[in-house]
Amino acid sequence: MKLEMGYINIHDIQFSNESKVENGVLYVDQDAVKKLVLEDENIKSVTLDIAHPGESVRITPVKDVIEPRVKVEGPGGIFPGVIAKVDTVGSGKTYALKGMAVVTAGKIVGFQEGIIDMSGPGADYTPFSKLHNLVMVCEPVEGLAQHDYERAVRFAGFKVAVYLGELARNLTPDETKVFETYGVKEGIEKFPNLPRVAYVHMLQSQGLLHDTYVYGVDAKRTLTTILNPTEVMDGAIVSGNCVSACDKNTTYHHLNNPVVHDLFEQHGKTLNYVCNIITNENVYLADKQRSSDWSAKLCRLLDLDGVIVSQEGFGNPDTDLIMNTKKIEAVGVKTTIITDEYAGQDGKSQSLADADPAADAVVTGGNANMVIHLPKMDKVIGMLDYVDVIAGGHEGSLKEDGTIEAELQVITGATNEMGFNKLSAR
Amino acid sequence: MAVSFVILTNNPLVRDRYAGQYSVEYQEGGYMDLLVRVRDKVHAGHKLLTHPLSGSVKPNETPYKSVMISQKRGTMDLGSLSVIEEAITACRKFPVRYEGLPQRVLEDFQLVDFTLIDSAIPSASAF
Repeated sequence: MKLEMGYINIHDIQFSNESKVENGVLYVDQDAVKKLVLEDENIKSVTLDIAHPGESVRITPVKDVIEPRVKVEGPGGIFPGVIAKVDTVGSGKTYALKGMAVVTAGKIVGFQEGIIDMSGPGADYTPFSKLHNLVMVCEPVEGLAQHDYERAVRFAGFKVAVYLGELARNLTPDETKVFETYGVKEGIEKFPNLPRVAYVHMLQSQGLLHDTYVYGVDAKRTLTTILNPTEVMDGAIVSGNCVSACDKNTTYHHLNNPVVHDLFEQHGKTLNYVCNIITNENVYLADKQRSSDWSAKLCRLLDLDGVIVSQEGFGNPDTDLIMNTKKIEAVGVKTTIITDEYAGQDGKSQSLADADPAADAVVTGGNANMVIHLPKMDKVIGMLDYVDVIAGGHEGSLKEDGTIEAELQVITGATNEMGFNKLSAR
Repeated sequence: MAVSFVILTNNPLVRDRYAGQYSVEYQEGGYMDLLVRVRDKVHAGHKLLTHPLSGSVKPNETPYKSVMISQKRGTMDLGSLSVIEEAITACRKFPVRYEGLPQRVLEDFQLVDFTLIDSAIPSASAF
């Protein structure tokens, strides 16, 4: 499957009376965007704001981050099974607006979390401080249940991202890249001497605020299966995961999955990138057994030499991670896993809730328990009401002077388990 | 279909929603108290059916936890024991932060814990 990605660099966002992209500037017609969002009768109001890199701005509680894209050629559309029809995506031509994102925010439940600081020490921990962000704070109608509110905010983000992506349809990209993987036999013939490598991508799938959707299907109710890597670039996987800000995979992460990106960099040079294997992280232990059995079965069936396994979350997913790793190693396929750590504030405790000698190649995104201090920001987009009760925060986290003392896990994307972050031991 | 599981919980919402529908053993207490109760049941020969660290809300940030175990007892299941022991070890890393939370926040924690255990029901009822 072959996909051409066209990148359109955005270096500024401004409100205007017409939505358009011109000379790298995204102009946004607020009224048009609001009208689109308010089509959903569950949303009472939406406030739009723009946050630029380097500004003294704090965005919280962040629900999702989304990069606008548009399908220019080939079957299907962006976010298949969610916004577009369910046609298989990942081939043809897609354009992306780079350097910017749509950020959704709102207090769906009373312990909401997710901070993006656009400047200061907090900005160093999140990749989203480097983007121009169009932030949408959605307020629900009175009495709306949390499930419905979460869904409404999630869909509002996707709709606006698709609306903005559409503005790029007739533009000429600043940069173009082609990504291609091959059928099993074709790949072996093309790269007979290269190791066959796949990406085992674990998807959060536990319940309200803990879900991921594949072509619109709740990942909880899926069996381990195969995707062409380019399908994710068209939004085949979207996030409904709003908990654990530091290591949740936002939709932006799924669209720009760094494991996919780096495997493509090596594809045809040092390895043959065969496919993605997606699997879930259910709470029911027999589901874990079934899903990890299938991961190993598919790895063997595809005659892989090695896989990279990434997990999403802490605790329950650690068990899936280790089950996948043990079973895949047991069928003769080498594994490298990506995780983050909850090693205590002093970093001295065991990092994961499960372990096994077979997991002997591990990449970490950092210790989410590390305590950080965030200075006051001049402007807050969203609300600080619940900083004291968010994951990684505690009573007294939010100081009277507007500073925050909390664990790193409050920051969106800080210890991302796809490796989409900057923390390093160096 | 015979329902062959028991839900151990300290979450009043789980108790109330499942009343008359599923077998629920409710007992007040903290997150760690619930995990210790689960371990006692595993020692007594019940099998663990759901992961005790379900959910991304960290242990002791939420006070609520619901865990599904088998109704039947057999010899002690070492796999279950390993998972619950690891969960207890992991829980100790997290200081208790749920004391003094406003009622609305507590109710949201209850709801999320309910949806986590509820996500296991279709799987548990499948055979």
